[in-house]
Amino acid sequence: MTSFLYEEITAEETDILQEVMNIAFGKASADLAEVIDIYVVLNIPEISVMKATDIPCCLAREISRFDKISIVHQNYWGKFKGTAILVFPAKAGRELATLLDNGPDEGGELLDPAEMERDTLTEVGNILIGACVGKVAELLDDVITFSPPRILVDEESRQVVPAETFDARHSAILLKTLFTFEERDAGGFLFLLPNSTSFGWLKKALHTFMEQYL
Amino acid sequence: MIQKILVVDDSLVSRKIIKSCIPADRGYEIHEAVNGLEGVAKYKEIDPDVTLMDLTMPVMDGMQALEEIKAFDERAVVVVCTADVQMKTISRVMSRGALMVVKKPITRNAINDALYRAEQTITGHNRP
Repeated sequence: MTSFLYEEITAEETDILQEVMNIAFGKASADLAEVIDIYVVLNIPEISVMKATDIPCCLAREISRFDKISIVHQNYWGKFKGTAILVFPAKAGRELATLLDNGPDEGGELLDPAEMERDTLTEVGNILIGACVGKVAELLDDVITFSPPRILVDEESRQVVPAETFDARHSAILLKTLFTFEERDAGGFLFLLPNSTSFGWLKKALHTFMEQYL
Repeated sequence: MIQKILVVDDSLVSRKIIKSCIPADRGYEIHEAVNGLEGVAKYKEIDPDVTLMDLTMPVMDGMQALEEIKAFDERAVVVVCTADVQMKTISRVMSRGALMVVKKPITRNAINDALYRAEQTITGHNRP
């Protein structure tokens, strides 16, 4: 019988992680606002701990409000390693693309709208995921590298990560930030899924982060 | 002279961090509130010399709380402590009468600087 290794994260550790995520996403929003003329309305990040195999259903529930979605999916490595998933309703990509649309390219060619949307999502994902995860790592004294992003546009709202990704023996932490773009009918979610092998390090790093203030 | 400080932040961790950065040897009386609504109520109740205000909070956010406090007391000294460091956010809080913005993660130097500026402002208010 496979035993379930439930790694506890205490209430204090959850609070610290929430504050770390808050700071990191604030930085990410500011970075995005410097690139495109947009104002990101921030919400309080949510931290959930659950059985790893419950993650796909949990994510599906979160995004079920959208009929179709666009996803930026990126893995990151360091002592803090895991997966970042940026989810937008399908039209958000088109909305954001208009903010970056500078007209024809140097050759006088208008970019294909689908390509423009894809490029925009790549850029936005790069900034939000890169800045957010990078700032989490910085606050916890780690260095991160990233995989190239995987972009999916106009997908049916469904399981964003396959269930077999997760080890049934482990628990998982889901870090969720909901954000909206002011004056734009757009917004989305950023999910961070730290790898269960990071948990031990993460717990220590959170306490080390707080120790500087004690 | 600063005697009473009000810390308004929904995060217990953040309030701990802020309090740890406030010099302990100056005898400040520190009060806390967990959201903007409670912050406004506490402000009216205790009349703090300085308020350290978060922005992203449930029930009432810091932007609205700042507006209400300034409407109640135009001389209120409010320092916004926030992770939301977008230029538009900073511009908005300053236009609503915040003294300054301190970016999270908070540091002792930043809080010391904020308290110094608050002290200067209060002294200026008290001049005949």
